[in-house]
Amino acid sequence: MSSRQLLLAARGAGRRFGKKTALEPAELEIYDGDALALVGPNGAGKSTLLAILAGALEPSMGGIERRTGVRVGWAPQRPAQYGRLSARENIELFARLEGEADPAGVAGQLLREFDLPGEPQPSANLSVGNRQRVNLAIAFLGSPDVLLLDEPTAALDPGQRRRLWERCDALREAGGAVVFATQNLDEVERKAHTVAALRDGRIVFSGTVEEYGRAQADTLFA
Amino acid sequence: MKRVFLLLKKDALVLRRSPLLLGIVLAYPVAIAVLVGLVAGYSTAKTRVALVDEDNLPPVVTIGGQRFHVDRTIQEVSKNVDLVRGLSRDEAERQLAAGKVVAVVTVPPGFLATLEQMVRSPQLEIELSRGPISARVKQQVQALVYSLNRQLQSAYIETNLKYVDLILRGGDGTFLGQPISVIGLERAEQELRQMPQTPRVEKLEDFVHDARLALANTGDALRATARPIGVTYVNGRGRTTLLAANVQAYALGLTITFLALMLAAGSLAAERDENVIGRLARGLVGLGHLVWSKVLLAAALALGLGITIAVAFGVIIEIGGVNGGEPWRRLPLLVVGLLLAGGALGALGALLGALAREARSASLVAVLVVLPIVFLGLIPAQIVPPAGWASDVLPFTHAVRFFNSALYDLSPWRQVARQAAWLIALGAIFGVLARLGARRLLV
Repeated sequence: MSSRQLLLAARGAGRRFGKKTALEPAELEIYDGDALALVGPNGAGKSTLLAILAGALEPSMGGIERRTGVRVGWAPQRPAQYGRLSARENIELFARLEGEADPAGVAGQLLREFDLPGEPQPSANLSVGNRQRVNLAIAFLGSPDVLLLDEPTAALDPGQRRRLWERCDALREAGGAVVFATQNLDEVERKAHTVAALRDGRIVFSGTVEEYGRAQADTLFA
Repeated sequence: MKRVFLLLKKDALVLRRSPLLLGIVLAYPVAIAVLVGLVAGYSTAKTRVALVDEDNLPPVVTIGGQRFHVDRTIQEVSKNVDLVRGLSRDEAERQLAAGKVVAVVTVPPGFLATLEQMVRSPQLEIELSRGPISARVKQQVQALVYSLNRQLQSAYIETNLKYVDLILRGGDGTFLGQPISVIGLERAEQELRQMPQTPRVEKLEDFVHDARLALANTGDALRATARPIGVTYVNGRGRTTLLAANVQAYALGLTITFLALMLAAGSLAAERDENVIGRLARGLVGLGHLVWSKVLLAAALALGLGITIAVAFGVIIEIGGVNGGEPWRRLPLLVVGLLLAGGALGALGALLGALAREARSASLVAVLVVLPIVFLGLIPAQIVPPAGWASDVLPFTHAVRFFNSALYDLSPWRQVARQAAWLIALGAIFGVLARLGARRLLV
């Protein structure tokens, strides 16, 4: 384990919304090659933890430690894109904001890889699945080392799921890491190496997939 | 800054893709400006004034030998008010209390008899409503009485001149209804010449001669006494009030206030509605840059709409052949004013958007906020000082003053610099507050 590099870590990071605590101070470390699944019931704090790790939400307490030079890609649960812009325009705009050298070229490549329509129809008119593909494609902009995906496969067809995991595997093999929130236990078993289970804003379990299986998920959320 | 312009370009594209929204956003403030103009025009329209005739004025009266058609005379002198006639005193007072009329003018019994005697002035009784409108009504009623007096003055002068003529030339006449016979100065002078010329007779001759010459100028003297200052109306040289300088400035200020507030508020809150704010805020675009992009969007659109309105006014002025005030003479100054005003209002709009957090709420809040801002700016600060103080800390008033001065003052620099400083300061304050408030969008 000592040869692995720490890419991203939550150091007592927590978040309150007014009087409500969405996430108790959490400790989490993400190393190169990791495939970490965040599991837990609705409202457990998975999306909040991912948003804090992505830098999209400031923690109310604690902080985030990111290895110098590490780039993070993030796909929130609800697609984050401009409804009046087409898929290509959305990807190209975020490519420019990410500082991609060839925004148009990258956008074209991602449109092909995610099998997205190239015609200029507003993304608001796209199907739920296609909007999610645009959402995921944007997460891959800027050559991220760590991908933070919030229930990424919920609206994808089997073919798209397979291609997404292939991309994630390739990123991990290249020294990156993937953290994904999911409700799909089958996905956890097949795609994750480690699991962090959350309940009521607290991490109640952290370990390997095998340890998670032994702990019996049902008892964790009883 | 490159990222700010990327967002600005995105917003422009989004607006272009929403022709209905863009049309409404552009047309709505223009419609409001027109409506406010109509309301302002209506406020100077005729007010209802009750005329209670307790003297039973006849259709025709003769004063000083001149015939007056009462109805025609009243219609002529009451052009600025809507006279309600045929009411009893009680009914008129009831309507005054209910606010149906704003004043009651009562012709008391014996009015006409006193007038016909031409010895002392008969009195009209005027009762006014209370409140801010009463001063204007008082002026209108005074104007009504002034017009009536002008007509009567002419009759009085003509009558008095007949007496003067009688004194000059002699003859028969009436005074206070009694027949009189006067020898006249001319005949008196002739009589004196025929008398033996003694020093006393010569003295009388000199006096009569001087008196005759003096009375010969009585007509002009009487008219000058009755009207020491005359007014000559020259038509066609000023512009219609619809194109007046302050109307243009208010129209510009009002339209860009609506536009900038609604757009900045709506577009900033829309970043959260689209769920994009988190994606932008994680290092791609700082919240400060996001606010900047909305301020620039508001300034750019304010410039576009403002120039269009100013040029439209200018074309109308050009067609009307009125010199001065064409916007193209002061276009660079107007451009600066529109950008500054649009920016300051955009910053205020961004603050509203950050506080409201949702595009629909933000637009509603902007509409709710914009009306008091505009109306505060329309209230003269000299009349209601607190309104002036409140509007001083809002960009609308400074924008209007800037446009007014930029378009029409011969030497606008001092005023323009002062208002520009206000707009920059207010824009900076609202911008900082919007940046702080924008953190709410991440929640």
